[in-house]
Amino acid sequence: MLKKTAINKISGLAATLLEAGTLLAPVKEAAGFNFREISDPNQVDLNFHNTILSPKSAFFPHMEDFVHYQTGKSVLEATPVELNLKPTFLFGVRPCDVKSFEIMDIHFSGTGAVDPYWQKRREAATIFGYAFDPDVPARVEEFYQTLGIGAADPEGSDIFMIKKDGDLLLKGITPKGEKLLAGLNGLDKASADEEKYFEDVIVGGRNVKTRFTCVDDKSIAKKFEDLFHVSDFWQKASAACLSCGVCTFVCPTCYCFDICDETLFSKGTRRRVWDACMFTDFTLEASGHNPRTQVFQRLRQKINHKYSYHVRKYGVISCVGCGRCTQHCPVNIDIFSIVDEAIKA
Amino acid sequence: MSFEPKILGIACNWCTYTGADLAGTTRLQYPQNLRVVRVMCSSRINPSFIFRAFQLGADGVLVGGCHPGDCHYNTGNLYARRRLAVTKKILEFSGLEPGRFRVEWISASEGNKFAEVVTEFTEQIKNLGPQTKFKIEQ
Amino acid sequence: MATSFKQIEEKLKTEAAKLLESGSVSLVLAYGKGYDEKHPMPYVAKCASDVANIVFNEFCTYNMARYLVRYPRGTKIAVAVKAADSRAVIQLIQEEKVKREDLVILGIPVSGMKNPKTGETIDSKTTCGLYNPVLYDVLLGEEVHGQPVVSPYDVLAGYEAMDKDARWAFWQKEFDRCIRCYACRKACPMCYCDPCFIDQTKPKWGDKSPEPAGNLMYHLTRFHHLAGRCIDCGECSRACPVDIPLYLFHKKVAKECEEMFGQAAGMSIEDKPALVNFRVDDSDKILE
Repeated sequence: MLKKTAINKISGLAATLLEAGTLLAPVKEAAGFNFREISDPNQVDLNFHNTILSPKSAFFPHMEDFVHYQTGKSVLEATPVELNLKPTFLFGVRPCDVKSFEIMDIHFSGTGAVDPYWQKRREAATIFGYAFDPDVPARVEEFYQTLGIGAADPEGSDIFMIKKDGDLLLKGITPKGEKLLAGLNGLDKASADEEKYFEDVIVGGRNVKTRFTCVDDKSIAKKFEDLFHVSDFWQKASAACLSCGVCTFVCPTCYCFDICDETLFSKGTRRRVWDACMFTDFTLEASGHNPRTQVFQRLRQKINHKYSYHVRKYGVISCVGCGRCTQHCPVNIDIFSIVDEAIKA
Repeated sequence: MSFEPKILGIACNWCTYTGADLAGTTRLQYPQNLRVVRVMCSSRINPSFIFRAFQLGADGVLVGGCHPGDCHYNTGNLYARRRLAVTKKILEFSGLEPGRFRVEWISASEGNKFAEVVTEFTEQIKNLGPQTKFKIEQ
Repeated sequence: MATSFKQIEEKLKTEAAKLLESGSVSLVLAYGKGYDEKHPMPYVAKCASDVANIVFNEFCTYNMARYLVRYPRGTKIAVAVKAADSRAVIQLIQEEKVKREDLVILGIPVSGMKNPKTGETIDSKTTCGLYNPVLYDVLLGEEVHGQPVVSPYDVLAGYEAMDKDARWAFWQKEFDRCIRCYACRKACPMCYCDPCFIDQTKPKWGDKSPEPAGNLMYHLTRFHHLAGRCIDCGECSRACPVDIPLYLFHKKVAKECEEMFGQAAGMSIEDKPALVNFRVDDSDKILE
């Protein structure tokens, strides 16, 4: 059943969710919006287009402690960090980012090797998807439509939300979402008109034009496979690349990490930290050999991983077209322009 | 219990460390709060040593080198003077109390000066209280 | 009357074509088309036919000196530089990372550049505020007259007035946002170390994880390493995805260095970088 609440009363809904568990929602910060754990319901702010960092940190935090240990003592005395998760509500996730969780699931649980941290967090979470505002045109950097993701696709969300003027319409998509929504106090019942509007926006979202025409996964993968050894192409594409980690850190589908032991005096923590294939030391081997010393090799790896290897191995492009990498790149390298060039090449 | 600061002393082998030795052999009294690390020259000091010392809980850092012109390696302390001046400005602008970092030129024959400087610096750090800004809490 | 962006673009194209055709350089570092007009990109022209892709407009803020050290020593390079960028080139020559005779410096006299991310006009607040390149072989346009009298250090007044606790709180708040993507060091023309101290593991200077202690270590040490070398182009702050005002700290250190050592970074190829130099009569007062 469709429910609604006024957007300026969103703090009421936030307060209800906060009582039931942990709430992660967009918060306005100095540089823009980001998903953060909410402590005060008034922090929740839905006046955003999309966040700087993707919501992947809800399931795959930038740093995650595994084990606390003391140097010089037996391994048996090390204490694993237990996840004591409360029900988590991930509020206001754009449809393309919701799609990214599905892609990330492949790596963290789908291939048989299950990451318990990812999985526990996933299981504890209820995702509140949030359609892009139908009145606001897509940003020039965005190309989710190209990858077959609508601006208002509810798939993957437990509860899906659409903004209508000053109201927020909410609908349960999965049984889990429906059950939660039915139990939430303070929401009004939506009218039949609003029900129709909700469905219309979902359909309309599939027709939102983003920059490029649709592409075929398989043919792109093949194209990149052929281009792998054409170093001229990659030299050109990476001529401006600074080889920093912005694109990978803001990306919703980049999942590379490093395990490091941070020790201070005798106490230490074994910790997982995000890493980026664009860093020089990412592929540095213990022998000192580095198979990817050049910038073009690293950029080639990144793009091939997303558009070629991933398609060949798992059948989907590991990109959701959110446009964050393009938007935040210090030198405006546009991932889709490179794909576009490759198609034409 | 009164506050006993931990102070890191970084002393150059040829002057300040020898000066400290002299202070010891002449039985001069000075506070025990200073832990001295010997380096071959004050210009060997990487500024990150100082940042790291504060992070690891030092309440103050005292660097000792030869008087300018007396460097065993002729010019080491002249480079160090510029470098450590910058370190001091950076610590200051980051918000650390400026009094927690000090550079002194103490020659091998200045056992007295060594004892005086350590006494005075320890007193100063005691007045500033524990250093909490950089310190990593465990 | 300042030269228009379009005129500069034309001159840049003409010069680049001339240089590449004559074979006096093997590449030209300039600006090219990005995914739209507001987002141009650094561009490397390697042959005369590449020249058509060169653009110049108010959003071409990138410091092309950044890319000089990427090519093998001895490569003949023409580089398009704006005022601060030319200082970076000078500083790299001082540090012997590039040779003056290997470079053709195409100077761009310009004011009113805009930050492609925010659209804000870039002035002495976030950069050194100069209009005309300090060093060039060819000047693409007329010198901009009427250099403003404001000092690039004016913006510091408010921060210098803060007491130590307020400054500490301010920087803690700023560094807390850092995601350790290292865009600042990668965008910096002076950050060419391989490996960077923060990537070293023996010794390990700071934690790899983005927590306050490691962030502080990384940034403070980076400010120190750039002392007397930062040419105040402001690229680090523009590259930062979380808008940490790194330029403030760099400006403060640059100001102190200028006062203490009487020399600004990247103003003359005859200078030696302030921290690998000394004067016997440097005053001990600088340590107080």
